[in-house]
Amino acid sequence: MSLADGYVRIGCGSGFASDRLEPAIALARSGRVDYLGFDALAERTLAYAQVRRRADASEGYDTRLHETVAGLAPSLRDGLKVIGSFGGANVERAAEIIVEQLRACGDRGVRVGAISGDDVLDVVRRLDPEIEELGATVGELGDRVVSANAYLGAAEIVAALGEGAQWVVGGRLSDPSLYVGPICHEFGWALDDWDRVAHATLVGHILECSTHVTGGFFADPPYREVPRLHDLGFPLAEVADREAVITKLDGTGGLVDERIVAAQVSYEVHDPAAYQNPDITADFTQVTTEDVGPDRVRVCGARGNPPPPRFKVLVGVDLGWKMVGEISYAAAGCLTRARLAAEIIAETVAGMGAEVDESRYDLHGIDTLVGPSFRPADEDPAEVRLRVAARCRDRDVAEELSLEVERLYLEGPAGGGGVTRRIEPALGVFPIYIDADSVNPSVRYLES
Amino acid sequence: MSTQRESTRPAAADTERVVPLREIAFSRSGDKGDTMNVSVIPYRAEDWDLIREQVTVEVVARLYDGLAGGPVTRYELPGTRALNFVLEGALSGGVSRSLRVDGHGKSFQSLILEADLRVPASRIDGDG
Repeated sequence: MSLADGYVRIGCGSGFASDRLEPAIALARSGRVDYLGFDALAERTLAYAQVRRRADASEGYDTRLHETVAGLAPSLRDGLKVIGSFGGANVERAAEIIVEQLRACGDRGVRVGAISGDDVLDVVRRLDPEIEELGATVGELGDRVVSANAYLGAAEIVAALGEGAQWVVGGRLSDPSLYVGPICHEFGWALDDWDRVAHATLVGHILECSTHVTGGFFADPPYREVPRLHDLGFPLAEVADREAVITKLDGTGGLVDERIVAAQVSYEVHDPAAYQNPDITADFTQVTTEDVGPDRVRVCGARGNPPPPRFKVLVGVDLGWKMVGEISYAAAGCLTRARLAAEIIAETVAGMGAEVDESRYDLHGIDTLVGPSFRPADEDPAEVRLRVAARCRDRDVAEELSLEVERLYLEGPAGGGGVTRRIEPALGVFPIYIDADSVNPSVRYLES
Repeated sequence: MSTQRESTRPAAADTERVVPLREIAFSRSGDKGDTMNVSVIPYRAEDWDLIREQVTVEVVARLYDGLAGGPVTRYELPGTRALNFVLEGALSGGVSRSLRVDGHGKSFQSLILEADLRVPASRIDGDG
């Protein structure tokens, strides 16, 4: 029990829905963490998960869940606890899968806490707020509103851990709260002990993007070199009452230094004196980062004020389909020909009128076509790739437009090659704010 | 398609020279909905005043002209010696529906390092 030493040891198991599992398992098996937090949702991930669940009621949870449970099961036997937003759009099913998979691994009697209540679509339909940016109310948008999820805080995580849950699963849990919950549970901190909750939020905020704080998203040679970027470790924190040390496992790639941790303090923060989360309005302006050893950075200085009175809710709205089509041109005159190709498609788009909501044309390319040894004689680049992107309400229109890009093979300017085209759902996510008494989270317990 | 941006290069006095911000600081950007933030942190503590004086809202608004549709706000984090710029309306509606190649705006963090800074001529550059 690390609390005997005065600190809580907590690591990051996932920073986004596609993160690697191996570094999380390495942390779990290292014996250096008592908790792992898993963020499995980006802003838009949940809206897409809701669409998956609509198509198949048994879907909508983290697609990596089976292998995550199997990979962590041995460490659970050693006492590891796991908190994560694996539930996505289907917390109930995710909790069942965790239980089933633990049993399949031979682990019985593990308590799983499933936090529901972030899905507030029914409430939002009843309240019928306006989505300002779309100039329409939720009611007016009707079936195009596919999801509405409130960002839940640490209270239910603390409650579940207090009830002996070893695995806590939710849907839209605020990212720092994945860490605030266990830290406050272990120390016995009240959730209105604002400076301490702010300190726990700072730790969660620094950890929650995984490799962002171990050297990812940082290299810019020759100014900033990071060793072994292919093998970055995930971060862990040794959290004490007023300070914490951010570090990573020995032998993993990357680095943790005071500059990197400093950069993560303001990452995706707007006003650093009022960083708003469901648990806290945190003030990071006086936070300091200090190298205290190899890959060890001490952080402290967060202050807190009460959280905003209303819950932030992300409303997912079906905005039709996004089409991207590309074609390349090489050597002398390539820029002129790519621009001509764009003009041809633009004519088609103009003819489609209101069926196309939005479109844009971009040019890119370095050495994909005729090899790196070719040097253009004139001012043109060696190659240009035209990228056409458009958003259409109707899938058939998106399909037709993408075929127009493919037809540039035959009908377009000379020498167009390498066409690719794809069509994907376009989902907008729009923040609204609703009163706290409209959100009623609860925890259900299952046992493997 | 891209347009040529005007040079932000200010006139340098005899005892000064002009260097890109990239020589002095690094940056990190993130997205929330249609809003982007980009923080700037000097490599050396003693350059904090330099970037506070010269990396102004006006400089950033000019660099990101045509990319950010809304206002630009600057915040300071003295503890980590970071400037944090918040650019509203910068992400074409946000990553899930933006038609841009980089809907997150992750690449935008490199743009701010193009800002020109006046530094004493005696200064030796590098990642100290």
